[in-house]
Amino acid sequence: MDDLYIAVVCSSNMNRSMEAHAFLAKKGFKVKSYGTGEKVKLPGASADRPNCYEFGVPYDDIYNDLLEKDKAYYTQNGLLHMLDRNRRIKPCPEKFQVTSERFDVIITCEERVYDQVIEWFGSKRSVYNQPVHVINIDIQDNHEEATIGAFFISDMVTKMAQSEDLDNDIDELLHDFESKCHRAVLNCIMFY
Amino acid sequence: MASKQQQGSSITAQNQLVQWINEAGMSEGKKKAGLVRKIIEVLLHQVPQMVPVYMENILSYMSDKSPEVKKLVVGFIEELSKSHQNCLPKIITQLQLLVIDPTIAVQKRAMQAACLVYRNILLWIYKNTPDVSDMQYVWEQLAKLKLLILNLIDSENEGIRTFSIKFLEEMVILQSASPTKDADDMFCLDRLPTNLPFVKRKTMEEESEHVFKLLLKFHNSQHISSNNLMACMTTLCIIAKMRPKYLASVVQALGDLHTTLPPTLSQSQVNSVRKHLKMQLLILVKHPAAGDSMSQLTQLLLDIGMTPQEINKVLPKERRNKRLGEIKNGDTPAKRVRIDSPQSAPESDSNSNSRSDFNLFDEDSNQPILPVVITKATATEDTVFDGLNNVENVVNLVMSTLINNLPTHMPDSFMTEYKPIPNSGSAVQKRSLANMVLAVIKNEMPPPIPNVKIAPPMFGSEDKIPLLRDDEEKLTLKNAVAKLQESTKADKQMENAVSKLMEETRQEHLKEEERKTKDKEKLIPPPTPTVPKLKQKVKLLKLQELTRPIPKEIKEKLVLQAVDRILRAEKESIIGGATQIRAKFITIFASSYTPEIRELVLNYVLEDPLNRIDLALSWLYEEYAFMQGFNRHPVTLQPKLHEKHDENYNQLICALITQVAERGDPLMEASKDVLLRKIYLEAPVVTDEAVEYLKHLVTEDKSALLAMEMLEELCIMRPPRSHKYVAALVCHVLSENEEIRELALKTSIKIYKRSTEATRKVIEKHALLYLGFISLSTPPQELFGNRPMNRIWTDDLFKLCLNLVMLLFPEKEEIIIEIARVYGCADAEAKRCVLRQLEGPIKAALNQPLPTSEDTDPKPGELRPAFEALLDECPRGAETLLTKFVHILTEKAPPSPELVSKVRELYATRISDVRFLVPVLNGLSKKEIFAALPKLIKLNPPVVKEVFNKLLGLQGHDEQCPVTPEELLVALHLIDPNKADLKYIIKATALCFSFKHIYTQDVLSGVLQRLAEETEIPVLMMRTVLQALTLYPALGALALNILQLLIEREVWSNKVAWEGWVKCSERLGPAAVPALAELPVRVCAMLPPHLSALCPQVTALSYVLEA
Repeated sequence: MDDLYIAVVCSSNMNRSMEAHAFLAKKGFKVKSYGTGEKVKLPGASADRPNCYEFGVPYDDIYNDLLEKDKAYYTQNGLLHMLDRNRRIKPCPEKFQVTSERFDVIITCEERVYDQVIEWFGSKRSVYNQPVHVINIDIQDNHEEATIGAFFISDMVTKMAQSEDLDNDIDELLHDFESKCHRAVLNCIMFY
Repeated sequence: MASKQQQGSSITAQNQLVQWINEAGMSEGKKKAGLVRKIIEVLLHQVPQMVPVYMENILSYMSDKSPEVKKLVVGFIEELSKSHQNCLPKIITQLQLLVIDPTIAVQKRAMQAACLVYRNILLWIYKNTPDVSDMQYVWEQLAKLKLLILNLIDSENEGIRTFSIKFLEEMVILQSASPTKDADDMFCLDRLPTNLPFVKRKTMEEESEHVFKLLLKFHNSQHISSNNLMACMTTLCIIAKMRPKYLASVVQALGDLHTTLPPTLSQSQVNSVRKHLKMQLLILVKHPAAGDSMSQLTQLLLDIGMTPQEINKVLPKERRNKRLGEIKNGDTPAKRVRIDSPQSAPESDSNSNSRSDFNLFDEDSNQPILPVVITKATATEDTVFDGLNNVENVVNLVMSTLINNLPTHMPDSFMTEYKPIPNSGSAVQKRSLANMVLAVIKNEMPPPIPNVKIAPPMFGSEDKIPLLRDDEEKLTLKNAVAKLQESTKADKQMENAVSKLMEETRQEHLKEEERKTKDKEKLIPPPTPTVPKLKQKVKLLKLQELTRPIPKEIKEKLVLQAVDRILRAEKESIIGGATQIRAKFITIFASSYTPEIRELVLNYVLEDPLNRIDLALSWLYEEYAFMQGFNRHPVTLQPKLHEKHDENYNQLICALITQVAERGDPLMEASKDVLLRKIYLEAPVVTDEAVEYLKHLVTEDKSALLAMEMLEELCIMRPPRSHKYVAALVCHVLSENEEIRELALKTSIKIYKRSTEATRKVIEKHALLYLGFISLSTPPQELFGNRPMNRIWTDDLFKLCLNLVMLLFPEKEEIIIEIARVYGCADAEAKRCVLRQLEGPIKAALNQPLPTSEDTDPKPGELRPAFEALLDECPRGAETLLTKFVHILTEKAPPSPELVSKVRELYATRISDVRFLVPVLNGLSKKEIFAALPKLIKLNPPVVKEVFNKLLGLQGHDEQCPVTPEELLVALHLIDPNKADLKYIIKATALCFSFKHIYTQDVLSGVLQRLAEETEIPVLMMRTVLQALTLYPALGALALNILQLLIEREVWSNKVAWEGWVKCSERLGPAAVPALAELPVRVCAMLPPHLSALCPQVTALSYVLEA
């Protein structure tokens, strides 16, 4: 199998997908990351007042915005550090639903995100008949879990890349992955 | 200029092209692929006019070795089909070849391209520009291509099947009429030109329908893989959306899928598939075309587990509520009986999703009801439906199902999964039920798909795709495969049932018969070898699918055998130096697995207990670790949760002990005490039952002494829990066997002296309990053990009850208060016994230093704290005890002032018995003694004697008597005769006189003088004078003196005194003359004659008278 083109998708294209993006990019995979949410949502000073941004607003701007709002708080909860990492990877969060890229594998980090991805595929007619494997691994939205999740994703993608015929092997591959990582995985095949 | 420039650049591009083509011809692999990519890019986008020229060059690369290059060629063909449609006749055959390329990746890429090419060909035809012969050629080639791809749906490769599905989707959509005349939906049958002789719409449409059915069949087939299934679901949904005429069938198919998932899916795949099904249904529901099947769709969503609210949320606004309202009215398809959904199948394993689980209505139960009207051949949904409208039929059906198929126990899965059928009885539900019944009758064929064999006549003649015969073959092959899998599945199921039953048997120890039948079933050979024979039609072999878990019973048997081998390898392990590891293994096996293994190991240990006792002990420790939750084994080795480890431990230790103690073979007998001792002393914990057993052993003649010794050792050597063990020992102080009783007493005290507070408490508690017995009216059963006895108190029984507490007394003197309390409530007999029993210990205690302060010598007379407390407390009814007690206290030593004051206090308040004072008499004041004297002299003569002994200091203690003998005697004389009868006083004085060495002449003379000085003449004075005179005649002078003194007091006026006076005078005889002489004359007349004769005045008078 030649180079897999991989997308990692979470809700806000901020933590989980970016962690995995960073990880996979370091390993030399062709990878992009996206969010499926309406907006880019980041925890705010209180639970009911999150910081919301449009997709497309650069990480840099968000960084500076938060820096201005409450430097100590956002340093302490790790957001600034995360944004700083993100802006080194790519300029801004991207929304999955508007991309025209065609991937071989889409990895989602949450069942809701998986649903949104499937729904998006369902909403449009396939033109190129190019198959894509959509795989969901549930990852909680926090730093530690994101790191662990990125390890798992990297593991899985490595295995996929080693496969001669991914379409044929994916069942077994995912089964092995599940029994190894004790995480439930959802998957299906969609077409571009 | 511009065109010139363009021309120039095109020339450079062409030159470049030629150069690259030449280079590509000489290079290999990646480099070549790179070059080809560049060539295609440049050719298509920079010099498209040159395509016809270089096309052949590029197409020739399709025979290249590298799949990369081939895929590029496919891409090129794809692009050509769009932008250079006049090349179509040339590329279509190339594409055909690529579709059957040996490299799977290329094949897939070609199939992907085929979809686009197909579309582009249609576009090309719509334009109706090309040459008709070209068109016809392309059309025919296209038909071949379609057939090729259609056949690939049975490929071994999952990816290829997926692509084939996708292509078939394209076919169905392109070859059917669109309901809307949208401009976007440019590919549809309607737009095909009608003027072409070879393009027959009707044929196309039939072909499309046929392919759709094929897809449905594939979708609902047993062996479909999860990815194919999901791809197929997506495809069907897209078709349903684009071509609403298929919607009903698609919904039906999805519904069938929901009830019967393919059995080959793993649990997570099932999750994915269900999820996907839900997503697809939601997409369908939202689609405007879904209107007609809305009720079925919502019903399905309900079945999947969505709530009506959730569904309503998803529905487009204008369709909400109304639809759900209809559902409530029952105007919906039947809610499928969920008996065959994965977790609810009554007899299937929870992992199985088998369609054939649907066996509630098996043929046996159907036969008696339906055959009258319906046979297998004639049955249709309608006939069954009619049958279901007949109440009798339904009742029969239900009854026979209940009789034949109802399991004896409700499966757990049923409990959790069962939901009542909401719209039961409605026509829709009956219809769906009929459908299911029909499926059962027809050997579980999925009902909605009509037999494909009906199709052939509908197809046209020469120009149709020659697909049918092949298809037929394929279908039969598919059927064969499906059947094959069905049979393996049946076996699997049977095995599942077997292992499940096994589980139950193991737990509930069900009857042997069941075991036998299962064994028979187990003999069915594993069906796996048949699968690979039809390799070409079955998906790639996967270990997961080919192998089955070994049935539990076999597993257990194998484990048992393995353990047995390890056990038998004792020698080998010693030779190999693996003894310790072996022991470790054995203990882990024994403690972590089944009861059978436990038994095996236990028997092994008991075969040669002397040598294997260490193994048993390490096993005990292992069990102990489990019991305490110290287990350090991986999860898999941990025993089941439901097993009770504390019971395991307890059972093990009890089994070991009883087996060792009772097995009775000579070998065991000889080493019994060593073994028992080892187990009891080295086990991590001795459970209550084990202690109880030891207690029981004491009552057995053979092992009584051993058991006693062990109990003692347990108590002394395992101090932390000795309070638990000691009870078993102490209870034997009531034993009827004297030897045991004595030993128990001795040991109890020994332990009491050595052990902790808790243990002491237990012993004390027992002692007090037994002590308490004596206050009962009849002796309790405990005293007799199991002997039938007249329950009457005897001295021996009292003693039995008292022995422990009496032995305990020296250790803990405070206990005397308890004794006194019980004493207070006890009968006279019991009291007597207690007094007797207590005497010794108290005396002994007085000779001992205080147990609490051993370093300080007891000061003589100092009151012990316990005794002091007793005196303070003085329990009701224990007065006699106290008296005895004080008595003992003062036996050896004079009473201390402390004691005296206590006694005095008690005497004043509680104990009015004067005897109580006796022991401390010498401590009392003179006044007190004299006050008590009248009562004292009334006591028994021996007591009176003792009193006098004390008062006269005759007891040998060099104590200071508060009264002198003189005073005492005087006091006796002065006792008010009203308070004590005279005879007591006389006796008392007589007693005094008997102590001649005390009442010497001097003392008596003192007494007499004192008496004489009394203003009132004491009644007994003269008697005393006389006695004194008898004892000591030398006192005559004093007597005379007294007589004379009395004359002065007119002794004659007191009758008693006068009599004494006269007697005294008589005794004195002539010596009394001086006294007589002093008598007045008139008094002399009262004298007896021989005395009066002595009176000089009388004689003188008579002389005078005579004279």
